[in-house]
Amino acid sequence: MRFIVCVKQVPDTTEVKIDPETNTLIREGVPSILNPFDQFALEEAIKIKQEGDEIIVISMGPPQAKKALLKCLALGADKAILLSDRIFAGADTWATSYTLTQCIKRIGDFNIIFCGLQAIDGDTAQVGPEIAAQLGIPQITYCESVEKLEGKKLTAKVQTDDGYKIVETRLPILITGITPSSFEPTNPPMISIMKANKKPFSTWNAEELGGSKDNYGLNGSLTEVIKVYSPPARQQGVVIDEETAEIAVQKLIDLLSKDKVI
Amino acid sequence: MINVDKEKCTGCELCEKACPFGAITIVEKIAVIGDECTLCGACVDQCNVGAITIQRKKIEDVDLSQYQDVWIVAEIKDDKVRKVSFELLGKAKELADDLKQKVCVFLLGDNVKKFAQDFSNRGANRIYVAEHEALKDYYTETYSSVVTGIISKYRPNIVLYPATINGRDLAPRVAATLELGLTADCTGLSIHDGLLLQTRPAFGGNIMADIICPATRPQMATVRPNVMEMAPIQDSNNAEIIDIPVNIDLQGVKVKTKEVISETTSECGIPVCEADTIVSGGRGVGSKENFKLIEDLAKVLNAAVGASRAAVDLGWIPKSQQVGQSGTTVSPKIYIACGISGTIQHLVGMKSSDIIIAINKDPEATIFNVANYGIVGDLCEIVPLLTKALEKKLSEN
Amino acid sequence: MSIEFSEEEEMIRESVREFAQSKIAPIALKMEETKEIPRDVIKGMAELGLMTCTADEKYGGPGLSAVSAGVIAEELAKADCTGSTCVYYLVPASWGFLLNKYGTEEAKQEIFPKNVSGEWFLGIATTESDAGSDVGATKTTIKPDGDGFVVNGEKMYISGVREAVTHGGGHITIAHQTPERGTRGMTTFYLPLTAEGITPTYIDDLGREGISCGGFSIDNVKIPKHYILGEENKGFYIIHEGYEYARALISVICASAGLKSLENGINYIKERKSFGKPLAQYQEINFRLAEHYTKLNMLRDLGYKALKTIDLEQEGKVSRFETSNIVAQAKMFCSDWACEAINDVMQWQGAFGYSRECPDQAAWRAVRSFSLAEGTKEVMKMIVARELLGKKQY
Repeated sequence: MRFIVCVKQVPDTTEVKIDPETNTLIREGVPSILNPFDQFALEEAIKIKQEGDEIIVISMGPPQAKKALLKCLALGADKAILLSDRIFAGADTWATSYTLTQCIKRIGDFNIIFCGLQAIDGDTAQVGPEIAAQLGIPQITYCESVEKLEGKKLTAKVQTDDGYKIVETRLPILITGITPSSFEPTNPPMISIMKANKKPFSTWNAEELGGSKDNYGLNGSLTEVIKVYSPPARQQGVVIDEETAEIAVQKLIDLLSKDKVI
Repeated sequence: MINVDKEKCTGCELCEKACPFGAITIVEKIAVIGDECTLCGACVDQCNVGAITIQRKKIEDVDLSQYQDVWIVAEIKDDKVRKVSFELLGKAKELADDLKQKVCVFLLGDNVKKFAQDFSNRGANRIYVAEHEALKDYYTETYSSVVTGIISKYRPNIVLYPATINGRDLAPRVAATLELGLTADCTGLSIHDGLLLQTRPAFGGNIMADIICPATRPQMATVRPNVMEMAPIQDSNNAEIIDIPVNIDLQGVKVKTKEVISETTSECGIPVCEADTIVSGGRGVGSKENFKLIEDLAKVLNAAVGASRAAVDLGWIPKSQQVGQSGTTVSPKIYIACGISGTIQHLVGMKSSDIIIAINKDPEATIFNVANYGIVGDLCEIVPLLTKALEKKLSEN
Repeated sequence: MSIEFSEEEEMIRESVREFAQSKIAPIALKMEETKEIPRDVIKGMAELGLMTCTADEKYGGPGLSAVSAGVIAEELAKADCTGSTCVYYLVPASWGFLLNKYGTEEAKQEIFPKNVSGEWFLGIATTESDAGSDVGATKTTIKPDGDGFVVNGEKMYISGVREAVTHGGGHITIAHQTPERGTRGMTTFYLPLTAEGITPTYIDDLGREGISCGGFSIDNVKIPKHYILGEENKGFYIIHEGYEYARALISVICASAGLKSLENGINYIKERKSFGKPLAQYQEINFRLAEHYTKLNMLRDLGYKALKTIDLEQEGKVSRFETSNIVAQAKMFCSDWACEAINDVMQWQGAFGYSRECPDQAAWRAVRSFSLAEGTKEVMKMIVARELLGKKQY
């Protein structure tokens, strides 16, 4: 079988700080990381991989995104492809999904495409379904995990508002939304890092990818960001620290009443 | 294309500080734009001497006037209209009034025509109804093809979807099929120069972005529950109801649902994404049994029970109730965080709540930085007392 | 950055950093009380491939270069203010290097898998009560005995005795096989600490509380022939390669611990005000900061150069003497410079700097050990002087 996992290198938005004077984002020194949700997706592919199966990771990004792909190879992917070209820059979810779709078409046959739930910078969760639509294959979003893979039949656990559902489908399929199965994303051990460099790694530009250049990057984007600003900062409110719980609770009730919260 | 006028640039560094993507560096007192530039324009706004200019591509004159009216795609669940649908209607009405166009509702499902009156009562001008027993359950394949077809045929100007699990599955599928722009999780919508201005958070909620779809129609957006005001019930209104015949064959559906399991511990029956009030427990709760304290408080407030990832990973509460980056993002009026330290991943999921109340043993817990009200103490003591006190207070009111 | 690291080395750094910051940093000061590294931390280090990382790939080791080993050491030093995990890592790395190069196949098959899995500690035990820098003054003897050898003597001030005795493992050591020939009659070998005839004792030393310090007497301990490293009676010549690997790692560790303390210091002096202005604005303080920072960066560069030289020597591109020389230079001032920097950071913090809650005092006590561990600074000066002046003249 062949699994394709779409990954993105993102700024670590949990490390991002706001300049208290200007209330703007401080971008310097924010490390670039493999999008954690993409790592979970890759780990799921690795979990269901059997002898003879192949996992290809693909990513659209600047040359530095190679680092994220190398980490994927260290975690257990077999091959990596970086789509890098000045023309890809500034892409919205449509242009991004178009670019990744071209790459998948060029790779050829596949059985499952895995995408992370969402990128922690964009937060849209749109690229996965948009790729599925362009490829004309069915999709399973909010898929927590793959329960079973028997031949061409896949069973998955899907999140719902108040629990989960079990769905079944035939391959090919695009899956997004794999949730972390353990507390923290795993770091690749030394042995795997040493092996990663020896695995096949290619970089494709727009020329090699083919497709319509009008659909790439900023030019191909259908949405346009016209302004970016910081949201108003949340201020710390009242912190009640009293001798007894009774006094503390009473104080809270009084405040909530006074402020008409209850 | 972005250009820095070297004569005008004073190297004051305001643009460098404003850039959210780290694309600007000052080299020998001149701003230099690097490869990371996305043309968002934050630097242009900051520059005091007008040294930076952006040229965007010209949009061909498509006859966009053919696309009229503001639509919402309603969501039905358990034979009831989901509250978020009325919130979408409320906002859609505002937008339609600004544009002097109509506000329409797209109602699809099985036996859903009976809900048309609710929408009519809340001010919808036109309701498109696509009923079929095969539409009883949501399937990407069936819903996306119906929605795609109807949009192509009726050419709405704007379509709003709820940013629910189904909505976020459906909207991008439709968008890519029709090659349309789509903006996710909008927290603000307005009309600006005749265009839909979509405001949404990104970078884990650390920045806000204003977005437009200048060239494609319809302009589409998904909207989070609990963010917009519900359309109020009006005195009289008679919406036009248009039946759309649809023919769905479930045989062709490839992704089949085998089993649906409900496992929420919230008595109120409202999922966290929609609840007005949420009481959440974290690692500080200590055990699965102790979560009863959280549930009791939630019951008194008719609130949904939520949890941090730590509590879910420890097996104390089902995943569907997890609030946070890898769970659900919520916007309730009141969020009570019990024994939750406030990791960034959790804050991402709840910091847009109107009021945050935090209870934690540790006075240094980061949750207190975002809480309107905080109590330092042992939640096992505080929560039961709070439950009793609130019960009393609410019965008095 | 004056040194450039490869993508592979950057990935190693990131992987170790994530582990060290999340699993070691939070419990670092606790080790001062418990006096041990938690077993699950050791397990985590082993799973990551850090333990005895110099073992060859066929025994389960990752096949890292010395520079990569240095990157790991640097990240551990940033996270562990007590230096315990740094020592627990660097000793098996360095002496695994020697065992890998000169050990018998049988010994490596037997010992390495247990080292790499984190079960057994691999240490170094050459110091005795009367023999430290002067390894030739060792009183321990090794004599052929039937198929194998018998060892008698004692060792003192050794790291990891308790760990090896409790969980298994052993130490590389050296003894006189042919005493009348002096250093030309010494043999290097592996000594299992669980063997009959080993009686351990424990010493309370100043720092690195998470790893034990102790000694043991060796009373007619029998070891098999395959535990000999290199050739009999030629042990003195090979043992220095193990010391040098350790010394190079130690230089990087000192630089890293010192720079980490400076980072703590910078945060403090920016916030803390005295007489109306932040401490950072006082020239006495910020000039010292600049000096320490510069020296520690020089030390870091030299430490990585030493590790690179070790790698080049294995490829045959550099001579034994050149390696000894550069390694000695790197280690000569490492402890002094790092201690001076950390001492000032403690001073800036006033009374807090003198309390056990302050991580910098633990770092000072850890780094202080490196002016003597794996070779004193005095011996480093002897080595460099000898290289410059020639053996006969000096």
